[in-house]
Amino acid sequence: MRAATGAGLALLVAMPLLAQAAGPDYGEFGIFGLDRRGAVWIAAQLHLLFAAFVLGVPMFAVVIEAIGIFTDNERYDKLAKEFTRLLLVAYSATAIWGAILVFFISTLYPRFWVYLTAIFAPSMWLYAALFFFESFTLYLYYYGWDAWKKGAAKKFHWGLGILLNIWGTIVMFIANGWLTYMMSPPPDVTVDTAPQTVQLWSAINNATWMPINIHRLIANVVFGGAIVGAYAAYRFLTSESDEERAHYDWMGYTGNLIAIGALIVLPFAGYWLGREIYEFSQQMGITMMGGFMSWLWIIQAFLIGVLFLAGNYYLWIGMGRIPGAERFQPYIKWMLLVLVVGVIVWATPNTMIASRDEVAAMGGQQHPFLGVLGVMSAKNTAVNLMILTTFLSFMLYRRANKEPVVSWAKTGTMLQGAAFAIAAVIVVFYGIYGYFVTAIVRIGFSVYQVLAVLATIIFVILIDSAMLRGAKSRGEIQWGKMPARSQYALLILAVTFTWLMGLMGFARSGIRQHWHVYEVIRDTSEQAFTPALGPAATMISICVAIFFGLVGMIFWLGGLAEKSVYEETAK
Amino acid sequence: MTNLKILLTIIGTLAVYTLVANIIPQVQSAVPREIVLTAETTPEELVAIGEELYAGVGGCTACHGLGTRAPDLVGVAGSVCETRVPGQDCKTYLWESLVNPTAYVVEGFQPIMLDQSRTIVQPQLWALVAFLQDQGGTVTVNADDFASALAEDTAPETAPADAAPVDPASIDPVAVARNTGCFACHMYSGEGVELGPPFEEAVGKDPEYIRRAIEDPGADIAEGYESVAGLMAPGLAGIMSPAELDALIQFLVTGDPGGGDDGDDGSGDGSGE
Repeated sequence: MRAATGAGLALLVAMPLLAQAAGPDYGEFGIFGLDRRGAVWIAAQLHLLFAAFVLGVPMFAVVIEAIGIFTDNERYDKLAKEFTRLLLVAYSATAIWGAILVFFISTLYPRFWVYLTAIFAPSMWLYAALFFFESFTLYLYYYGWDAWKKGAAKKFHWGLGILLNIWGTIVMFIANGWLTYMMSPPPDVTVDTAPQTVQLWSAINNATWMPINIHRLIANVVFGGAIVGAYAAYRFLTSESDEERAHYDWMGYTGNLIAIGALIVLPFAGYWLGREIYEFSQQMGITMMGGFMSWLWIIQAFLIGVLFLAGNYYLWIGMGRIPGAERFQPYIKWMLLVLVVGVIVWATPNTMIASRDEVAAMGGQQHPFLGVLGVMSAKNTAVNLMILTTFLSFMLYRRANKEPVVSWAKTGTMLQGAAFAIAAVIVVFYGIYGYFVTAIVRIGFSVYQVLAVLATIIFVILIDSAMLRGAKSRGEIQWGKMPARSQYALLILAVTFTWLMGLMGFARSGIRQHWHVYEVIRDTSEQAFTPALGPAATMISICVAIFFGLVGMIFWLGGLAEKSVYEETAK
Repeated sequence: MTNLKILLTIIGTLAVYTLVANIIPQVQSAVPREIVLTAETTPEELVAIGEELYAGVGGCTACHGLGTRAPDLVGVAGSVCETRVPGQDCKTYLWESLVNPTAYVVEGFQPIMLDQSRTIVQPQLWALVAFLQDQGGTVTVNADDFASALAEDTAPETAPADAAPVDPASIDPVAVARNTGCFACHMYSGEGVELGPPFEEAVGKDPEYIRRAIEDPGADIAEGYESVAGLMAPGLAGIMSPAELDALIQFLVTGDPGGGDDGDDGSGDGSGE
C-alpha cells in the first residue's frame, strides 16, 4: 500500500521522444506583456472566430439563396449576396490569423510543431490545397452572382455555394483532427511512441473528432447568424433611409432566427461530446465537470441566460411592429418571469465554498432554500421551461398578424395550448418527482423532460403550418419600425455568443491541463499550468474585443461598398 | 454618437462577463511535479511539499475548507495547534491529528477522518505537519523527525506468519464502513452524509463493480455524481483487511448487514486491524 502511494506521489513522467530532437523546446516571447501562451491563445482564438464566421455564413447564404430561387423572391437573393460580401474580407482575416498562429506555434513551440508535422504533414498539405479551392470558389460565387442570375446559370451558381460549403466543412474537419488529437490521442499512442509511427487516419479519427465536428458545424451556424444579426443591427442603427432600415431590420430578424434556432439543437451535440470525453478518460471528464473547471458551468449558465433573455426581448420588441400583436402583450410579463426565474435556478451552484461562519449562518453547507435549486432536478426543469417559453414567444410572434381561416382554427389553437400545458406539466412533474428518487432514476427523468419539449415543438409547428394555410393578414409587418434598443439586443447577443465560444474553447483546451497531447506530450514550459477562470475570462474578453474591432472594420467596409452601389443607382 | 453607443454596448457587455468570472472562486490547475524526499530536505522544502500534498493527492481539501465537514486549516492551523490539548505541543498535536484523528475532535465536527498513515507514507506526513505548522505558526519539524521516518518507512512490511484466516461472516460490515470513514460521504440507514451515492443504491449491483468502485474510485463514476467525482480517495481498500473488504462488498450488494452485530452499533474502534 505504501509503495503504491509513494509511486502515486512520485509523478514521474517519461521523457517524450520529441525531446530527443535537437534545439530548444520553446521559443522566447514577451511583447506587450504577453507570454508565448498568451500570444498563441490570441492568435488561435481570433483565427477560430473568423474561421467560424466564414464557415457559418456560407451555410445559410446557400439556404437563403435556395429560398430565393424556389420562391422566385429576389429579396432573399439580395440578402444572400449581402451575407456573402461580408465573407470576402473575413476570409483574408481568417488567413492572416491562421498564418500568425502557424508562425507562433512553429517558433514558440518548435519541438511540439515538429511532433505534429511528423504525424499530420500530409493532411496539412491537403488543408492548404482545399483552402485554395475554397477561396477560389468563394470568389466565383460572389463575383459571379450577377453574371449567373437566371435559369440554369443560377442553379449552377447555387451549386457553387454548395461546393463552397463542402470545401469549408472538409477544411474544418481536417483542422479538428489536429486539435482533437491533442485532446484524445488514440489509446495505442504513448509517451514512447515515435510520431512517425502514428497512423494518420488513426490520429485524425480519434475519440472526440466526430463529436467536435458536429458540435462546431452547428455552432458555426449559430455564430454566423449572430454576427450577421450584429451587422444588420449596425447597419440599421447607422441607416439614413427608411428603405435601408427596413432591409436591415429584416436581415437582423433572419440572422437572429437562425442563430437561436440552431442554438436549441446545440446542447444535444454538446452532450454527445461530453459523453465521449468521459468515455475517453474519466479523469478528463471529472476535470471538466467536477474538478477545477466546475464553476465554468455556472458562468456558462449565466451567459446562456443572457442569450435567452436577449433573444426573447428582441422578439417581444419586434411584436410592436406587427399589427395584431398587441393582443399578446399581456402574456409577455409572465414569459419574462418564467425566463428570469429559470436563469436564476440554472445559475444556482450546488455547493458553495463558504467560511465556517457563513455556513453556520446558512444552517448547512447548502442554503436551506437555494440549495434545493442547485440540483439537476431543478436545473433541468428550469432550462426546459425556458426553451418552451422561448418557443412560445416565437409562435406568438409568428401568429401576430395572421388570422387562420380554416374551420378547425379554434380546435387547433386549443390543441396547441394543450400541448404547451401538457409539456409544462410533464417537465414540472418529473422535476419535482426527481427529488424523491435515487440519482440513477433521476437521470432518466431528464430524457422524458426533453422529449416532452421536443414533441411539443414539432406538434405545434405541424398544426400551425396547416392552420395558417391561406390565413388572413391583420396587416403587413412594418419592417424598419423598430426601436434602437432592439438592435442593441442583437449586438449583445453577438458579443455573448462570441464570448461563450471563447469560454467553451478554454474548457475544451484547458481539460488537457499540463499536456500538449493528453498523457503523451507533456507541457514543460513555465506556462504549463491551466489558469483560473478570472485570468482566462480576461484573455477571452481581449480576444473578443480585438475580434469585434476587426469585424467593425469589415462592417464599415461592407457599408462603403453598399454606399457606392446606392450612389451608382442614384446617378 | 451611434458608433459610440455601439462601442460602449460591446465594451460594457465584455466588462460584465469579465467581472463575473473574476468574482467567483478562482481555482487554478497546477502542474504536478515529482516529489522527492530525503533527509537533507529543508523545512521550507517540506512546507512546499506539504502544501502540494494538502491541495493534491493528499485529498485534504475534500473536507477541510468546505466549512462543515472539517475545520478550515489554511492560515490558522499553526496558530491554534498548541491550544487544543493541554500539555501537547503543536508538532505532536498535528502528528496525532493525522495518525490518530479521533483522539481529539474539534468541537462541532464529527469523527470522520481516517488514519492518514494508512494512505500516506510517513515522511510525507511530516511534510504535511510542516505545512500545517506554517499556517500561522513556526515550523519545528526537523531532520531527526524526518530521517527516522524515512528509515522506518523503507523497512519492509511483513505480515505476521501466524495470522489466522478470518471468516467474513463474523465481520460487521457497517462497523467496517464506519471505521473506514465511508459515512463521511455516503449514507446508510439515516447515518452519514449525502455526498456520494447512498449505500442502498448499491444493492443488486455486480460485486466486481462495487469492488472496483472501492479500489479504484475514478474507474466508474455513478451517474448523477459526476460533480463530486474525484473526492473519494483511492486506497481505502488498503485500509481494510481482505476479509473486511469482502464482507463490505457482500453487504453492499445484498443490503444485508449480517456480520458480527445488528449493524446499528459498530464499535468504531478500528476492529479491522
